[in-house]
Amino acid sequence: MAAKPGAATPTYSPKIVGRSRLPIFKDSDLDWSRPDGRGFHQCRPALLQTGAVSSASGSAYAEFGNTKVIVSVFGPRESKKAMVYSDVGRLNCNVSYTNFASPTLGQGTDHKEYSSMLHKALEGVIMMETFPKTTVDVFALVLESGGSDLSVLISCASLALADAGIMMYDLITAVSVSCIGKSLMIDPVTEEEGCEDGSFMMTCMPSRYEITQLTITGEWTTPNINEAMQLCLDASSKLGEIMRDCLKQSASASDE
Amino acid sequence: MGTEVSTSPTSLIDQTVVPGDVVLDLSNMTNQTIKLGSGLRQDNEVISVMRAGKLRYSKPNKYWVESSHKRYVPRPEDHVLGIVVDCKGENYWIDIKGPQLALLPVLAFEGANRRNYPKFEVSTLLYTRVVKTNTGMNPELSCVDESGKAAGFGPLKDGFMFETSTGLSRMLLSSPTCPVLEALGKKLSFETAFGLNGRCWVHAAAPRIVIIVANALMNSETLSGTQQRIMVEKLLEKISD
Repeated sequence: MAAKPGAATPTYSPKIVGRSRLPIFKDSDLDWSRPDGRGFHQCRPALLQTGAVSSASGSAYAEFGNTKVIVSVFGPRESKKAMVYSDVGRLNCNVSYTNFASPTLGQGTDHKEYSSMLHKALEGVIMMETFPKTTVDVFALVLESGGSDLSVLISCASLALADAGIMMYDLITAVSVSCIGKSLMIDPVTEEEGCEDGSFMMTCMPSRYEITQLTITGEWTTPNINEAMQLCLDASSKLGEIMRDCLKQSASASDE
Repeated sequence: MGTEVSTSPTSLIDQTVVPGDVVLDLSNMTNQTIKLGSGLRQDNEVISVMRAGKLRYSKPNKYWVESSHKRYVPRPEDHVLGIVVDCKGENYWIDIKGPQLALLPVLAFEGANRRNYPKFEVSTLLYTRVVKTNTGMNPELSCVDESGKAAGFGPLKDGFMFETSTGLSRMLLSSPTCPVLEALGKKLSFETAFGLNGRCWVHAAAPRIVIIVANALMNSETLSGTQQRIMVEKLLEKISD
């Protein structure tokens, strides 16, 4: 059925989702609960698995609540001929989202910088001098975006690197905290990220007790920063244990 | 690499370790030298792990991490299966599944000289020995042993090559003979070559024997010795029917 010349073609306009702040607090701070029913200082249930991609040198799949990511590591492989000689290896990180990752159409602008943030978090833990003249490629794919995407990506990438046998000082764990009003909430979901006053993400090496990346945005008071840091360190050590168990299970399964 | 510590094995020996785990604490140990192999490093007063795997110890004083990966890190004196990628000047460029292509000089064959040396086409499979692995340089290979004899090195004609993890190839090369090879060898006649880079080559008179052996070897990675023998028995029962 052809449309008349000059007539506007009927199209479906996408639903505009505004980032207006939702009235999340009711009468007081006390009777407000999180969208998924967790406590303020409670993380989402985590599922970690290595060896998800058979063609990669190492890979890992992570599921934190509704956030699902898969990370593949390729290499070390020879750097392109055009690249200048380097005594240390190169790390190349790429983060991408599937079209169906989030309910809103297309990608948000903040996802573009995730690749460089992932690179910054990982470069402090990888022993680059162990693979000169070569490149390690880390490809991260977000299958479903359910909040705290970057912290899940970093933890999953660390697991994939360990699975690939890349020399590392320690595993890396990343935890994020949102500040809404006077409350601090660990491991925020998308709804909470949409109406936060400030976000805090810390990437650390649990065994060495060292921080490789710290990202703070929005309004924060010094006591809140201290509390958020303690929350992150505590959660990181627990997440580190889960990651260790995951690696040990996969290693013992291949040795049996 | 010597470090002043005691040589008493820790509780982590033969256990799975991951990056960041502390294997030995040097602060409260007597003056003795230990040797650290791959996957371990000295970090001030402790010896920590850099790679996931099983911590191994051999008397008197060696510690290392044994792991199974898809990628291979070349080490001197490793026997590897390489594929010819190119021939430039006086070197063959060989793919050994490592971070870089390896160099195989055309004179690194028994009886080779500038006028008379073996010529290989691209994609030829070679059984070689790693000679040098200097940092920042491509690994160097050779098809002769220390005494200059071929000793089994050279091109592998016919047969079937498949890729496995480095852990499986190490298991197949281990001494005493791996149970799966022992069980297959009692009933079938075939020829094999295993490289520490995770490549395996199988050759037999009949293609079905090659397929059986290759499948048995690939399946054996996650099986114990007893399970390997049972698997081989079941495979052989099926083909005898």
